[in-house]
Formats: sequence, C-alpha cells, structure tokens
Amino acid sequence: MNLDEELQDAKLRELARLLGAGAAERLDVERTAQAVVTRLRQPPRVTLAGWVWMQPAWLKIAAAIVLVLGAGLVTRVLLRERVPMTAVVAPLGEDLTDLTADQLRETVGALEQPFAEESPDARDAGLESLNTIELRALLRTLES
Amino acid sequence: MPRAQSLAAADAALIAAWQGGDEQAAAELVRRHARALARFLAAAGAPEADLDDLVQETFIRAFRAVGRFRGQCQFRTWLLTIGGNVLKDAARRLQQVRVVPLDDELRSRDGDPHETAVAGEAEARLQDVLERLPHMQREVFLLRAQQGLEYEEIAAALGTSAGAARVHYHHAVRRLKEALQ
Repeated sequence: MNLDEELQDAKLRELARLLGAGAAERLDVERTAQAVVTRLRQPPRVTLAGWVWMQPAWLKIAAAIVLVLGAGLVTRVLLRERVPMTAVVAPLGEDLTDLTADQLRETVGALEQPFAEESPDARDAGLESLNTIELRALLRTLES
Repeated sequence: MPRAQSLAAADAALIAAWQGGDEQAAAELVRRHARALARFLAAAGAPEADLDDLVQETFIRAFRAVGRFRGQCQFRTWLLTIGGNVLKDAARRLQQVRVVPLDDELRSRDGDPHETAVAGEAEARLQDVLERLPHMQREVFLLRAQQGLEYEEIAAALGTSAGAARVHYHHAVRRLKEALQ
C-alpha cells in the first residue's frame, strides 16, 4: 500500500468516526435508559409483524403434514396393489402339474381376490366343487 | 487486566444482575452503550428523528434475547449487530431510510472554512454511498472503521469468518473510495 492509499484509508476512517457523532451526542441517554426500563416491565407485545410471521410458519407445518399423509397414502395403495401380484406371479411361472388340489385352489383364490370386490358373483362361484383337472384348466385360462 | 476485558467483565456482571431482576443493571447497560449504538445507527442511515426509538428498540430486543448471548464477542458488538437488524426492519417498513442531515456541529468545526466545507461534502457523500452498500458490507465497514473492532470480533458477532469479514471490508472501502474521489 503506497502513501497515497494509506492517506486515503486514514481519511476514510476519520470520516467514518465522525459520521453520526453529533446525533449521538444529542441523544438524551438518561431518558432513553428510563424508557427502556419502563418498556421492559411490560409484557412482550405480539406485534402484527410477529403474528404475520407466524402464519406462514403454521402454513408450512400444515403443508408438511399433508405431504407426509399423502405420501403415506400413495405408498399404502402401491403396496396393496403389489402384494397379490407377487403372490400370484410365482406359481403361474411354474408348472401347474406339480401343484396339489389345495395349492391350486389357493392360487386361484389369490387370483380371484382382486376381482372379488368388484364382482360379488365370482366369490359365489365356489372352487370346492371343481376337481383338479378343472382347476388346472381354469388357471391356464387365467394365465393366458 | 486490559481495558476491553475489564469492560467485558463489567458488562457480564450487569447482564447477570439484569437476569436476576435488577432493573438498574439494565439502565446502566443502556447508559454505557447508548451513544456508541446511536452513532452506529446514525452512520448506517437512521434518521435523527427516529434515533431514540431505534436505540430503545435495540436494547429491548437485546435484553429479551440476552439468554442467547454467550460472550462470543463483546456485548457492545452484539448490541450493534442487533441495532443493524432493527434499522433494516425499520427501513423495510418505511421503504426508505432518509439521508441524515449533516450535523451543524460538524459543519462549524474550527479551521479553514473551505476545508470544513470540503470535509462536510465528503461526509455527505460517504453517508450516501454507505446507505447504498449491501447490509453486510456496511455493517462490517462501520464496525471496523467507526468502532475500531478487530476482524475476529466482527466475525464472531456477525456469525461469519474473519476472512469473510475482511473481504466485506475491502469491498466496502473500494466502493467508498471510488465515490469519494
């Protein structure tokens, strides 16, 4: 830093020290001190600005709750849709001839379940009356 | 004990007394720091007519939040940064901070009338440019140049690093010098 810059810096600091000096001198410090003490005795005011500030905060909390609930709901729906699919796809990929009559009934029942709520008739059909060959035929129909 | 440390110790004792319910301790803290705070606020652009209100509001906020003051810097430095925020809030409400009229006392300094006039003009320009500086640059500049604080102290009060405070100061000085040339 050369001499000229140093002088400039010194001048700047000197000017900065002078700024506001007169106004500060005119401040009645004792009166200010008493006013502060009086105000401190009063309970803190909830200012309009504070109230307004609180509103977005509550909105953010509400939005976060809605997001969490929404995400939970979507996850639940997706999981419910996936469970029967995984239960059904595995046996269908295997040879049906290896399955016993009970296993076949169970598999057909699992396939039937998603549709049962929409179509009460399907539930009424009854798998007990079908023999092994008929059950295999039904499964192959459903698989295709 | 160095002067700064003894001042800090006296402030700490007064803060503890205020937290214990001693109102006169609060009044004493106001007496000790009100003028420095007023000078800082006026230099940062506070209109003189609002100065008393701004000083009061700063102390009220500081006393109500004093539990958060951990002695990371001097009480006065912490107070000045609260003052800066109070002024910023007030300026936002008013949408402007008026230029402080030049003090008559400063205008009528003894000496060559021409030099006095030039100095007054420089102060006015400095004030004008200061008000247009970014908040952080203005605060760092005033804390350093007006209050004579070290960068470490400024950084601790503003929650930044000493290096960042130095950079803010140099940016402010560069812009102020350009305006004063």
